[in-house]
This record gives sequence, structure tokens and C-alpha cells, in this order.
Amino acid sequence: MIKFNRVFKVYEKNIKALDDINIEIAKGEFVFLAGPSGAGKSTILKLLYREEIPTMGTIFIDNKEITHLNEHKMALYRRSMGFVFQDFKLLFDRTVFENIALPLVITGISEAYTKRRVAEMIEKKGLKGKEKLNPWQLSCGEKQRVAIARAVITSPPVILADEPTGNLDEESAWELMKWFLELSGKGTTIIFATHNRNIMEKYGKRIIRLKEGKVVEV
Amino acid sequence: MRWLKEVFLNFKRSGFMSMISIGTITITIATLGGYFIFNESIAYFETKVENKVEITAFLNEGGEALSTETLINEIKLMPETAEVLYFSKDAAYAEFTKDEESKQVIDSLGENPLPASIVVKLKTYTQKGVEDMAKNLRAKPQVEEVQYGAKEVENLINIINVIKIITFVTGLIFIIASVLVVSNVINLTVYARRQDIYIMQLVGATRSFIRMPFILEGVIHGFLGGLAGWGVVYLITNIMLTQIKKETGIDLSGFYIVGANYFVTKFLLAALGAGTALGFIGSIFSQGNPPK
Repeated sequence: MIKFNRVFKVYEKNIKALDDINIEIAKGEFVFLAGPSGAGKSTILKLLYREEIPTMGTIFIDNKEITHLNEHKMALYRRSMGFVFQDFKLLFDRTVFENIALPLVITGISEAYTKRRVAEMIEKKGLKGKEKLNPWQLSCGEKQRVAIARAVITSPPVILADEPTGNLDEESAWELMKWFLELSGKGTTIIFATHNRNIMEKYGKRIIRLKEGKVVEV
Repeated sequence: MRWLKEVFLNFKRSGFMSMISIGTITITIATLGGYFIFNESIAYFETKVENKVEITAFLNEGGEALSTETLINEIKLMPETAEVLYFSKDAAYAEFTKDEESKQVIDSLGENPLPASIVVKLKTYTQKGVEDMAKNLRAKPQVEEVQYGAKEVENLINIINVIKIITFVTGLIFIIASVLVVSNVINLTVYARRQDIYIMQLVGATRSFIRMPFILEGVIHGFLGGLAGWGVVYLITNIMLTQIKKETGIDLSGFYIVGANYFVTKFLLAALGAGTALGFIGSIFSQGNPPK
């Protein structure tokens, strides 16, 4: 379970990004984080993957407090999550294969297993024949497929998605949602930040609405 | 294997910066190598020159044989004396008249004008030691005149010492420069790759996973710089040996330090070791801290 307990985030010049956030997300739940730009959706995700730490308050994941992890523990903690971003965050001078394999490579898993597992993901995400291409040679939809393949290759229990459909055409966006739902069906916790009303309304999942750093609907 | 691949990628991405880093280490190793070879050669020739420093005491005409023997024994008993050689008038004549022209000159005088002499060699060479011994010898009644060439040798040694200091300081400056250049090149690489590093951190890469390729990069720069530095010294030494042989006829190829055995084994290993160490230290000194 993910729990935010009285979490505040204030940036320099007293810019309040989050203001007394109290939310709970159950294991295996699919939650949308909704709200206009600047509402605090991305900040919540950044706090979860520890790019930021709260100015005040605590965040628990499976009853473990994550705000005071040291650098090494933070690296290990991040391995328990998958990330999908609007701008894909791919390594542009690496091949599709190398990008997808990255989470396995950093954990030191055997090359043979890595090859097998990446081949599986490539097949599953419809990227066959593109293994040796670099991300800049792919369409946006394909880049996002590479990103999601990288995010799920280690079967992490939590997936954080920050506007993942933002750069996609409608067809690619629906296809991406299909994969997220499939993952959710397998028990993966998904926190999906978006301002796309169509997507949120279509799936009937819980929506945490934010406005100016405050939760306005849980 | 992965790290080597990363290093290769970095070479591809920032080849020019890598070349600067390798080039600086090359210059450092070449300077240090040159300093070492110069030092060794000078030390070798210094010993040769020092061994030739002798103090010659010319004896009074008609000195009693007994008093000469007493003088020799007295000198032999001095703690700083290494060797005492006595040259009689006849021995001096024999030595001087080896050359036919000199023989004719001496013979024309009708009698042997050359004095008997004593040559003293010291155990350790210092200018003060030579001067003290000369002073001692002058005080002896059997001694007419004392000659030694210490001043010239001392001047030569002083010049050599100044050159040694200059080379050493230059070497030192280059050591510091290489460490700074390597660390800055790696800092620039880290900066250029900050987005990649950020992505790797996001997916859970540890600090060592991220830093290791950069350290390896520094080490490889150092190794290549060491190899190139050795090559430069090797080339320059060979050119100099050829030139010396051509100009003076002196063949120095037998001198152990420029001999193939020494140059391509010990000296090469030392250059590679020093270059690698410089690269390693440079990469350790680099910030190498990817963005949090």
C-alpha cells in the first residue's frame, strides 16, 4: 500500500507544489492522478520515485518510509518500480534492445536470461525487427512501446506513468491503455497522471483530483 | 564488457576531448620518461667523471726516497683516501714520451725535467673533500705543487643539477596538469551524458554502476597516454643516439638504459603503470557525481 501522510512540498521562492496531501493507494489498484498543469500530479510521482523529498510529511510504501533512503537504498528501491513518461526518457544512442534490457543489465542478471526476456518483450509489444534501431528512428508510438517494455521487463509491483499518452495519437494511446489495464489485471499497482478526460472517464477507475497542490477529490 | 562498451561509446561521442586527455598524459609521461633517462644517464656519467677526479701532488726535486714513502703511508692512512699511486721521475718520463714529438722535446733538454708525483683518489667525491686533501698535501714539505680539476667538475655538476631541477619541476607540473585535464574531461563527459545518467538512475542504477565506466575511461586514457608517451621517448632517444653517433662517433647503444631489454620491458611497464595511475587518479578526482 502507498500512503501519503500530511505531505507538503514547497519549492524555492515559497512556491507551494503540494499542500497537505493525504492519500492511500491500495496494492494492485489503478489510480488516475488528474488535474490541470501545475496541480501537483508530477510532484506526487517525483516524490514516489524519490527524485524529490517532501518539505514536510511522510510517504510509506508497504509500511516502509521512503523519504530517508540513502543513495544505494534509493537505487534498489527504484528497481521495484517501472516508469513511463510523456517524453519516453529513452537512451537515444542505444538500440531498442539495449533500452529495454537496461533494468535487467543494472541488476546484473545473466546475459542469456536478458536476451530471452527482451526478445519476449519485443515480440509482445510489436517491436520485432526494430531491435537494432535507435529510438530516434522510431515513431512516437513505438518509442512509448519501448518505454513500457522497459518499465515492465522486471515485472515491478508498481508502475508510475506521467502523462504517457501526451505525445501519442489516439490509436497509440488506446493501445497503451490496453497494456496498462492488462498489467493492472495481473495485480500491478498503477498510478497514472493525466489530464485526458476521455481516458479517465472510459475506464471508471479511481481518480485523485488535484488543484493547486491540494487534493480536491479522492 | 558492458563498461568497455560504455567507454567505447564515450570515445565515439567525445573523441576530441578524449584525445586531449590522452595527449596530456602522453606529454606527462614523455617528460617524466625524459627526466628519468636524463637523470640515469647523468648519474652514470657523473660517476665516470667523479672517478676521474684525482689530486696530483708533484714532489720536490731530490726528495729522499724514505720521506716519499713516509708521505705515501701518511696519505694512505687518511680516512678519505681510496687509492694512492706513486709515479717516479722515470715513470713520468715514460708516460710523457709515449708521444714521439714530446720525447724529442724532453730529450733535447739533456736531462729529465719531470718531477716525481703522487696521485690521490678519494673514496667519496665532494669539492670540500678535494680541497681539504689538496690543502693537506700542500702542507707537506715533500710537496712542491698540487693540482686538481675539481672546480670544472663542480661547475658541470651544478649545471646538470639545474637541468635536473627544471626537468623535475616540469614533470611535476605536467603530472598536476594531466590529473586536472583527465578529471575535467570526465566531468565534461558526465555533464554531456547527464540525461542518460538520470535515466539510468531512474531505473535503479547504483552509483558504482554509473561511475565505473568513467573510471575505466580515465584508466584507458592513462594507459594509451602512457603507451604514446613511451613511444615519444623511444623515438626521441633513438634519434638522439643516431645523431650523437653521427656527430661524435660515440656509440651509446650499449648503455643499459637505452638498450632494448631495458627500454621495451622495464621502462615500457613503468610508463604504462604511471600513465594508468594518472588516468585513474584523474577519474577519481573528477566530480563523476551524476545529478541527483
